[in-house]
Amino acid sequence: MSVETDFLRIQGSVAPWVSGSRTAENRLDMDTSAERLVPAVTALRSLSWGYLSAITGFDSGTAAPSDGHIELLYHFCNGPAVATFRVKVPREDPSVPSIGPLVPSAVMYERELAETMGVKVAGLPKKRQFLSDDWPENVYPLRKDFTMESAAATREVGPAVGSEEAPGTFIIPIGPQHPALKEPGHFELAVDGEIVTHADIRLGYVHRGIEKGAEDRSWVHNIYLMERICGICSHIHATAYVLGVESLSGVAVPPRAQTVRTIFCEMERIHSHLLWLGVAAHQAGFDTLFMYSWRDRETIMDLLEELSGNRVNYSVNLLGGVKYDIDGKAADSVRRGLDFLERRTTHYLKIVTTDESFLRRTRGVGAITFDQANLLGTIGPTARASGVSRDLRVEAPYMAYRDFPVRPVLDSRCDLEARFVVRINELFESYRLIREMLDHMPAGELAVPAPRKVPEGEVISRVEAPRGELFYYIRSTGGVKPDRVKVRTPSLCNWAAVLSVAVGHKLADIPMIMVGIDPCFSCNDRSITLRRRGSAESWSWEDLRAYGISYYAGGGA
Amino acid sequence: MLNDVFVSLFKRPFTERYPYAVKPAPDRLRGKLLWDESKCDGCKLCVRDCPAKAIEIEVVDRAAKKYLYHYRIDRCIYCAQCVESCKEGALTMSNTLYHLASADKAAFTEIYGAKGTGACSEEAAEK
Ligand code: SF4
Ligand code: SF4
Repeated sequence: MSVETDFLRIQGSVAPWVSGSRTAENRLDMDTSAERLVPAVTALRSLSWGYLSAITGFDSGTAAPSDGHIELLYHFCNGPAVATFRVKVPREDPSVPSIGPLVPSAVMYERELAETMGVKVAGLPKKRQFLSDDWPENVYPLRKDFTMESAAATREVGPAVGSEEAPGTFIIPIGPQHPALKEPGHFELAVDGEIVTHADIRLGYVHRGIEKGAEDRSWVHNIYLMERICGICSHIHATAYVLGVESLSGVAVPPRAQTVRTIFCEMERIHSHLLWLGVAAHQAGFDTLFMYSWRDRETIMDLLEELSGNRVNYSVNLLGGVKYDIDGKAADSVRRGLDFLERRTTHYLKIVTTDESFLRRTRGVGAITFDQANLLGTIGPTARASGVSRDLRVEAPYMAYRDFPVRPVLDSRCDLEARFVVRINELFESYRLIREMLDHMPAGELAVPAPRKVPEGEVISRVEAPRGELFYYIRSTGGVKPDRVKVRTPSLCNWAAVLSVAVGHKLADIPMIMVGIDPCFSCNDRSITLRRRGSAESWSWEDLRAYGISYYAGGGA
Repeated sequence: MLNDVFVSLFKRPFTERYPYAVKPAPDRLRGKLLWDESKCDGCKLCVRDCPAKAIEIEVVDRAAKKYLYHYRIDRCIYCAQCVESCKEGALTMSNTLYHLASADKAAFTEIYGAKGTGACSEEAAEK
């Protein structure tokens, strides 16, 4: 069904609760109000259309043309189409109802809004999820009148809210150090004996304020700031950002530049998936696989360094193009590297699907059913391993994916094994794509000049990162700096799913289930305090992992 | 897998013996920023676009196009935006000077042009 007919259908069913709507290419914007938001979302949900991709809030400030409001944007996505409900609330009393009962994954985004924008969302838990506990009360960093001085001057710190535990439950806190997201994470797992009965997450221990920082830097500076959101998928962040800015300023990027960008995207996916394979194997206690897959991953890291000059933050993007070409000699070394990796990947696919002891940790474990994955807004390989075909490269091709179509990789087994198989098969697809792009590289320029001031407007830029859909909302007021850059990273979407599937599983399976969504548990050791009715034992993540391994070594007794 | 392990037993270690054996860096490696005084016209585009505030230009004599180029190695994130922004081709990044760690803070500030050396070639920078 085409996007237009979809939009007509949506407009028809939400009409009573929407005061105005506009469509532009792949976008439908519907104005509604705080009172009518819930019925409007209910009407949209009744169509079973799309999933909630992000909630953006921006403060229009109090300066002249603005009427002093905060605008909330609820973005629902389905393939290339984005349907947005826009709600304006006054700055003095910004309150909206929660859409959590309709869309479970909304709660995480609403909590972010409440803490960073000061929007009162009825019915949210008191505990902070994003800002640190010692952040002053009633100071909201994403408001336009926020200054560091005002925050520092407010000494009033809210009371720390502990976990709301029912008497008699054992809560196992894990974290907070966890390097996968923009923010490290802390988990609280309530257990009944061996079985997890409830899981909660706390993020933001090292909230770096990148979204706020972006408002204070030029359009060029921000390429490098965005690149530093993630050390694994650095290029895709910069790419999502530059694609958005280029479309705002109407810059047509030459096809060769787009192809180079795409090759880097795919190479990044290869390094990210191989990294994940090692980390996941390590969590299962299969360190041999961990060592070998990381050894082989060096091939792609060396290639990235050879092509760009940097190993991690390749910084190949410019506004309007790329810095480096991939020419004959470089292309040949990429081809050689891919041949080697393809052989190794075939080997790894065989191992993860045949190794008996490994399969005991993955087969039938951590199932996210198709319906759960769909409803919870799961994305990326995690969704595709549950048969939900969400892949922006396929559904809404951008850059060179238009000329070099991606074959979707799906698996309907829903368990951890499927997540291994999907990611490994995606590696083969990436090898194929890169080879094809190298063989049919369009000729031409590498970059065109881009203006320093970006015309007024807003844009949504969505790309497929290694972990799933990466969502950028960029708004310009016509100046040399952005007015708002909202970033929703893929892992944030997938946490909702992992928290619900964790329930009912054995504690020993938790490390594997969490690692299954690829939140990159590689870098740090985390401290876990195991609280048993008042007494405290300290566990590190390492201990929990060891516990998982020994649990299965002992026959799962 | 066992086969894999067995084969690996007879391979030489994969780990590189850095710093005893230093692998040649790729051509495009982005090391220390080098400035060519003879090409620079003092437009300061590099200063404006540097995301890390690593560059400052001190004007000695604008008519004679004499500048001092302050480069903060400890701030630089090796993004090469300055190299792209410079329309005069005055900036390059060295692929040999990348051992830049130091226990001495002074080593992190390079002032090109100060010694009256003119163009900052790789050899001059090494001194
Ligand atoms: S490489 Fe980047 S950070 Fe370093 S001086 Fe140039 S623009 Fe600044
Ligand atoms: S951009 Fe180039 S020419 Fe302009 S000041 Fe910097 S180095 Fe000199």
